[in-house]
Amino acid sequence: MKKLVFNPELCTGCRSCEVACSFKKEKLFCPEKSRIRIVKIDEEGVDVPTGCEHCESASCQMVCPVRAIKRNSSTGAVQIDADKCIGCKQCLVVCPFGAIHFDPEKKTVFKCDLCDGDPECVKWCYTGGVTYGEMAALPQKRRHTTAKRHLHVQTEKRKGRQHS
Amino acid sequence: MSDFKYGGYAGSLLFADLTKGTVKKVPLEKELCGLYIGGRGRDAHLLFEKQDPSVEPLSPESHIFISPGPLTGLLGPTTGRVNVAGRSPLTNIYGNSNAGTNFGPELKFAGYDGIIITGRAPKPVYLHIHDSDVKLLDASRLWGEGVFETTARILEEHGPETKVAAVGPAAEHGVLYGSVIFDFWDAAARTGLGTVLASKNLKAVSVRGTGAIRVADPDEYYRVARDGWQAILDDPGFKTGEHSALGTSICVNWGNAQGWLPTRNFKESFFEGADKISGEEFRDSYSTKPAPFPAGRACFSCPNRCKRFGRIEDGKYAGTKGNIEFEGVSAFGSKCGVDDLAAVFHAYMLANDYGMDCISCGNTIAFYMECVEKGILDGDGLELRFGNADAMVEMVHRIANREGRLGQLGAMGSQKAAEAIGKGSDKLLNTVKGLETIACDPRASKAFGFGYAVSSRGSDHLRAHSVFEMLKMPEGLGKELFGSEESVNLRKYGGKVRLLAWHENIACVTDSVGSCRFMQASYYAEYPVPELLNKYAKRKKSEVHSIKYHEWLKAATGIPFTYAGLLDFGARVINTERALNVQWGLKRAMDTLPPRFLTEPIPKGPAKGEIFDPVKLEEMLKEYYAMRGWDSESGLPIEERLKGLDMGDVATCLKKRGLLAPASARTPETVPLPTTFDFMTDCYVPPAQTGGKERRKGGH
Repeated sequence: MKKLVFNPELCTGCRSCEVACSFKKEKLFCPEKSRIRIVKIDEEGVDVPTGCEHCESASCQMVCPVRAIKRNSSTGAVQIDADKCIGCKQCLVVCPFGAIHFDPEKKTVFKCDLCDGDPECVKWCYTGGVTYGEMAALPQKRRHTTAKRHLHVQTEKRKGRQHS
Repeated sequence: MSDFKYGGYAGSLLFADLTKGTVKKVPLEKELCGLYIGGRGRDAHLLFEKQDPSVEPLSPESHIFISPGPLTGLLGPTTGRVNVAGRSPLTNIYGNSNAGTNFGPELKFAGYDGIIITGRAPKPVYLHIHDSDVKLLDASRLWGEGVFETTARILEEHGPETKVAAVGPAAEHGVLYGSVIFDFWDAAARTGLGTVLASKNLKAVSVRGTGAIRVADPDEYYRVARDGWQAILDDPGFKTGEHSALGTSICVNWGNAQGWLPTRNFKESFFEGADKISGEEFRDSYSTKPAPFPAGRACFSCPNRCKRFGRIEDGKYAGTKGNIEFEGVSAFGSKCGVDDLAAVFHAYMLANDYGMDCISCGNTIAFYMECVEKGILDGDGLELRFGNADAMVEMVHRIANREGRLGQLGAMGSQKAAEAIGKGSDKLLNTVKGLETIACDPRASKAFGFGYAVSSRGSDHLRAHSVFEMLKMPEGLGKELFGSEESVNLRKYGGKVRLLAWHENIACVTDSVGSCRFMQASYYAEYPVPELLNKYAKRKKSEVHSIKYHEWLKAATGIPFTYAGLLDFGARVINTERALNVQWGLKRAMDTLPPRFLTEPIPKGPAKGEIFDPVKLEEMLKEYYAMRGWDSESGLPIEERLKGLDMGDVATCLKKRGLLAPASARTPETVPLPTTFDFMTDCYVPPAQTGGKERRKGGH
């Protein structure tokens, strides 16, 4: 199963993903309609991409009184059926990531649906702030990065011994 | 959402009269969109139309414009620029400045293509915009506060997603080069328009926008934007990753190696301490996102991320933080002979917090240092010698607060300071039309140098940004585009006028649509350069992507722009700015370089022995005037040419004021810039035949 991964260390805060998302979903340029949002802390020079993490135990899904929120079995995305949504906004209240938004014109809520496994935001992210990859590969990558650091330390030590 | 006829636009302007305390939403005139597009172009036109030439920059009747363009806030390579325009209090001629920030897009989403401000509020106010809810709020608590504190407090008041443009104490005190700072760090500083805002008792403009912008042809828009995006990613310069890794500070070592890094008030153009203030040094010592994370910060919808954020953790300047750019580093670094990066960073951020142009400020201090060295100025208790970082930092405080004699004089900029100092100090100046020169020695780079002489806002590179000559481009490309192989050579004069005219025209386009100069002149992703590079560069031929502003604008707005039409558009904007300037007293004699650059050869470094030949300058001016359609005797616009550019209204107005070239004036025939290229059959496939959908998936 794949996951949309947000990496604040690589995000540049350009917000291309926001406009790309709103354009793909609504044919509009409107960050307010985007499913992914970049929180910019300009004062400290930090940008944090945020969005739906598609929780396994999704509180939005549990709280929905009309069962409008379901998991897509092929992509794993937690999706909202806009036709069923009654606009009660309970999901918006309980989401721990602030990833569910209310559309005042349509009177329903909306959120990320992983674009059926081909997320538009990722196509516009050049630095890797948002990526879409196999979940198992994530910890594997981190493990190997750590291992390489150890390799570096040991190589340097050996060099030190040989030079002294 | 607006029902405006053209896509890309929000459809309205906001007109604030601070004397009356009224703010009105006015519809955007459709005719303006085709002729003047937006941003810099429309601002110049409206300034000509609305402001009487007799109005002084700091009088209540003066106007100031804050305008994004039709592409600002949309998806595509760099759509985050906003233009600020008015009459400059520093130079008394046309002033404008441009910043890359989130303010411009937010203003569009709030429903406005620009803000026009006039009048003077009886007490300090700030303008807060939340979509259609617009009000003037009391700013007496904010008056006197620095830019950072002001911005932070407004965010606290209106929420963290608000975008803020603020002016600082320097502007309030009347320093003539006050800046407008957007979102803490993004400065529109040149020509001192922050001082104009402060003179109107307007401390800040804050905006929160939740609306949407439509484009005329969404599918075509997506294709063109994606093509332009890919053009950046494919650019040889971008691919090196250096600009993204080091930000604009990459130019410290690069400029030094090419011999154009201004050093000690332009006495030299090679700084022995460049390494210590370089982009590499900043990355290693202060960057908050060090390697292996290459991410800087980016403006809206930009793949480039050239803003380098850093922080000083310990020592004398602990706590200093912010975005650093090359111009500020050079102004307080090499120009003042200071090689202590911490001090440079600190002085730079002080200038930002006080809200004044770091270039004018740093240059003025460097000018003082040389005056002191020559024994024609007393340091007012400070040991103002080149390389003294403490004196430099102290001088920044004094200028911002207008303390002491040097603080008072420095607040007026170096040209007015030289008038007061006398004793031949004017020979040490580096100003053109009253504006201090940026960080590139004109003797070492001829197109840049010529650009300073003719730029509509004084000595500045961003009217053209002719980096082309620095990039070792193929000679064939120079020949086809600018008519001479010499145009690719930094030290030669051949083809440089045409090179400059092309750059100026396209620069008007990027400034007016709300896109960034770097896409057009640094990376050269702008049509037709990638296509021509593919033709002439010795490398494997490949599918070519480019930013085609004409197609991009057409898809966004629905107005049928063409490449040739955009070159004319550029000429129209340059002529509008010329019209503004001649009515404010610009004379032909002011289109020149300071004597130092025309007479003193560079003493050492890679560009040793170079001067800007005054005879060549005169020849180049004549050729340039002919291209622009200005009289070579008086420098005034010729009626016929203005009418040819659909500027009959401007011509009529200038005629009434006696500011047109005499009817007998003729310019020699010039060959227009090429608009068709024979690569079209070679490697550029017109849009209808490409597999648009496949390209979309290209990603990276």
